[in-house]
Amino acid sequence: MTSTVDERLGGPVRKPPRKPKPAPTARGFSPLRALGMAVVWLFTALNVLVLYWLVMAAFKSPIEIFTKPFALPSYWIERGQAFRNLAYAWNNAGFGRAFVITVVLVAVSSVAIVLLAAPAAYALTRLGVRGANGLTNFVAIGMGIPFQTVVIPLFIGMAELDLTNNLFGLFLIYVALSLPFTVFLLTGFFRSLPDELEEAAAIDGASPARTFFTIMLPLARGGLITALILNAIGLWNETLLSIVFLNENANFTLARALFAFNSAASYQSEYGGLVAGVAIVVLPMLVLYVLLARRIITGLTLGAGK
Amino acid sequence: MATVTAPAEGRTSSAGAHLSRKKRLFFPFFLPAVTLYVLFLLVPTVATVVLGFTSWSGAGDTPRFTGLDNYGELIASDAFRYSFLNTVLYIVAGGVGTFLLAFLFTMVLREMRGGKVVRAVLFFPNIVAPVALGMFFGIILVYRPNRQGLANYLLESVGIDAVKFLAPENITWVVTGCLIWASSGFYITILMAAVDRIPPYLYEDSDIAGATPWQKFRHVTLPLTWDVVGVAGVLWTISAIKIFELVFVLAGPGTYSPPIRSWTLGVYVFDRSFGDQGAPQYGMACAAAVVMILLVSVLVVLLRRLMRRDTIQY
Amino acid sequence: MATVSFAGTTRYYAGNPVPAVDGLDLEVADGEFLVLVGPSGCGKSTTLRMLAGLEGVDGGTIHIGERDVTDLPPKERDIAMVFQNYALYPHMTVGENIGFHLKIAKMAKSERESRVREAAALLGLTDYLDRKPAKLSGGQRQRVAMGRAIVRSPQVFCMDEPLSNLDAKLRVQTRTQIASLQRRLGVTTIYVTHDQVEAMTMGDRVAVLKDGLLQQCDTPIGLFGKPANLFVAGFIGSPAMNLIVGTVSGESAEVDGSAIPLTPAQRAALTSEAVVVGVRPEGWEIKAPGDGIPATVEVVEELGSDQYLYCSTSTSRVSVDGGAPEPIAVRAPGMSPWQRGEKLGLVPVPGAVHLFDAATGARLPD
Repeated sequence: MTSTVDERLGGPVRKPPRKPKPAPTARGFSPLRALGMAVVWLFTALNVLVLYWLVMAAFKSPIEIFTKPFALPSYWIERGQAFRNLAYAWNNAGFGRAFVITVVLVAVSSVAIVLLAAPAAYALTRLGVRGANGLTNFVAIGMGIPFQTVVIPLFIGMAELDLTNNLFGLFLIYVALSLPFTVFLLTGFFRSLPDELEEAAAIDGASPARTFFTIMLPLARGGLITALILNAIGLWNETLLSIVFLNENANFTLARALFAFNSAASYQSEYGGLVAGVAIVVLPMLVLYVLLARRIITGLTLGAGK
Repeated sequence: MATVTAPAEGRTSSAGAHLSRKKRLFFPFFLPAVTLYVLFLLVPTVATVVLGFTSWSGAGDTPRFTGLDNYGELIASDAFRYSFLNTVLYIVAGGVGTFLLAFLFTMVLREMRGGKVVRAVLFFPNIVAPVALGMFFGIILVYRPNRQGLANYLLESVGIDAVKFLAPENITWVVTGCLIWASSGFYITILMAAVDRIPPYLYEDSDIAGATPWQKFRHVTLPLTWDVVGVAGVLWTISAIKIFELVFVLAGPGTYSPPIRSWTLGVYVFDRSFGDQGAPQYGMACAAAVVMILLVSVLVVLLRRLMRRDTIQY
Repeated sequence: MATVSFAGTTRYYAGNPVPAVDGLDLEVADGEFLVLVGPSGCGKSTTLRMLAGLEGVDGGTIHIGERDVTDLPPKERDIAMVFQNYALYPHMTVGENIGFHLKIAKMAKSERESRVREAAALLGLTDYLDRKPAKLSGGQRQRVAMGRAIVRSPQVFCMDEPLSNLDAKLRVQTRTQIASLQRRLGVTTIYVTHDQVEAMTMGDRVAVLKDGLLQQCDTPIGLFGKPANLFVAGFIGSPAMNLIVGTVSGESAEVDGSAIPLTPAQRAALTSEAVVVGVRPEGWEIKAPGDGIPATVEVVEELGSDQYLYCSTSTSRVSVDGGAPEPIAVRAPGMSPWQRGEKLGLVPVPGAVHLFDAATGARLPD
């Protein structure tokens, strides 16, 4: 039989509507939905506007920032110094060095966290040990402990070991305090892996350790990368611990440098440099977010959905 | 029969051997992480509880046991009372605001085109450093006639008088607003993930019944996302109790502490231990930190109790 | 009670230039049980959802009784719908589920409860009113979904494959229950299914759809006895009608050496020399080899009451669903002594032959 579809396409040309009509249910007016729509769009527009403002302000003079908040930057561009604010923050306010320190510290810490958390999460989920669930909860409780409650004894202890104002000391603390969240996150991933491959490896005679490294770790790669990214974001933005544990400009991380720059910049009306500093902290996250939004969102909300 | 069971037995015993070999991996895998966890989180927490019963001004001083004196002093102090009340306010008012907003959004986003993009845009503030958010709001909300921040610029451009957003008497509400703005995206995403799991035909059936958006929310969305709302509430509580940078940066001059009217427990602990004003009072700071733990525990238990319902089976 | 009429009703989906339902014209009488049947993607569910108001209408109109409901929201259409997955609210009890629509309609609690009890009694659900759906069997859930539709006493029932989630035995039982319930209540019903047996056993009339186009709407007997085109001929009936390609020579159609006479009207209606001869399995007369179409028995299917012989022949055949042509099915009396590999001759019983134009697929006039 010839296809009727072709016949219809070949017949008199009928234009399908550009947009099919919505169901009548979506057309009834509801004050609540109207309010919701208004708030949603207002909120979204505000977020976009604020981001636009931030990027633009990083290229503006203080007077432009306050008197022409929506205009495109012109003052510095006319003077041929378009990147003057960024240069100021980078060179004069120490953001350049802080940027390098932060990138290295965040990268090394995130990798270390995942290297420690992955075997622990594997041990808690797939080794068939009794009491593993209790131990998982025991680790998960750590997510609920505010850092403020441990920072004083930690500071005293680290001072004893001469590890305050020391990037290695901060590295240790970052790794330790990020473990509960990361272990908890990864237990979810390991739990979702199928049993069959592990069993097949066991039948082939692979040792459990070998099974972990050659079979389970590659399988959990998605989870490990998510854990790496989420930790990198968290540590990039971490402020409290860097304030407590770093007090020399030479050691400052970005968030710490921004914190220190805040009061100095306000006194000198160096708002251009300040906004540029904020931009240096925020924009790498924006880039990461644009590239990996789905992974970041699902990773961060994973624990809650289950 | 015998020929059938023999290989099966053989298999179980080799599987059992494999299992015990697997179990031997447990400690090498689990101990490094848990050691760091105990050393850097649990031991310090216990130490904080102990130090909370002492008076100690740090290096050069020896802790003296003072019993409950610190707690008595805390209750008597204005700074602590503001800190405690503000923290509760942020948790409760910020939480109610955030969740109302999130609920409103779930009602709309479910049937909206472009909802995914909207969700991604709203989520973004969650991955921005609070200290950067604080500074950013500080510049936007600044009150300075003739050179207003963005917020007052907008108010003046529609003919409304500028507001001193960052003055001590307004700062708590401003921070609450900023908090809701910054965190609602996260909770919208969590709730939307739960809403997306509700089968669409339930909404179609309520359409046929003629349910309004509110009735759909009340009779379908809310009961079917209740457990996720509970978990989200717990997450909110444990993140809101820590609020520190946002207040510190928004309310104060920057490097040292803001006026005490705006304090939170986090600011209090920091000010009494690492703030730049005089000798540290580690004992008091630890006592305040213990209050934080107690508060978060009480709120989480209370929340779980309040939110308890039969689990939903499809 | 009310009639339902579709007039030129058309529905597009975003990004697809071919309409999902194309200019549907269909009249459903008051109290009638009309079944929409067709393969998946034929537009039957879309048609039902347009009637229920869950789907917009891009062209044409839908009337319920005298009212034009094309753009009315679902609740103003006075319809009830039974979903394929029943759409029971998992957090509500059976009673709350049945009464949910009445509650939304703000009916007083006492009246609501008495109507829920009435509906539950009718469906044998009285003992389960306080249970949650998760604690019910599939058949009970199906009845709860029915109860929710009945309790509204609507003008029209819309049922979207309500039996497809039941096991085979329960499906047959429930089929008759629904049909008799509908006749008792006398409510106009539009019932969607992909199962032609369900369609033929339940419907007063059956509308066959394919690719968004209505192929034929008739009583089960009409559909079976006079399929309007090749698609309907192949779709209705099980085992399916054997469709064999023949060539026209003079006043008859030639099939593998056998001639089937054509009337002048049939001859005139043909658009080409190719004709399709349709014979149902029960329309064959089994003769000795050498008489009629030569065939070899490949498979013998013994059902006790009947026996189906699947035979290979050298004829070329039409397959409606595009798959490989199946062997010719022949019905023989139950317990016949046929064996695999036996040769026989097949002659169509006069009057049991359906003729179609091979180019257009349309039925030739009788």
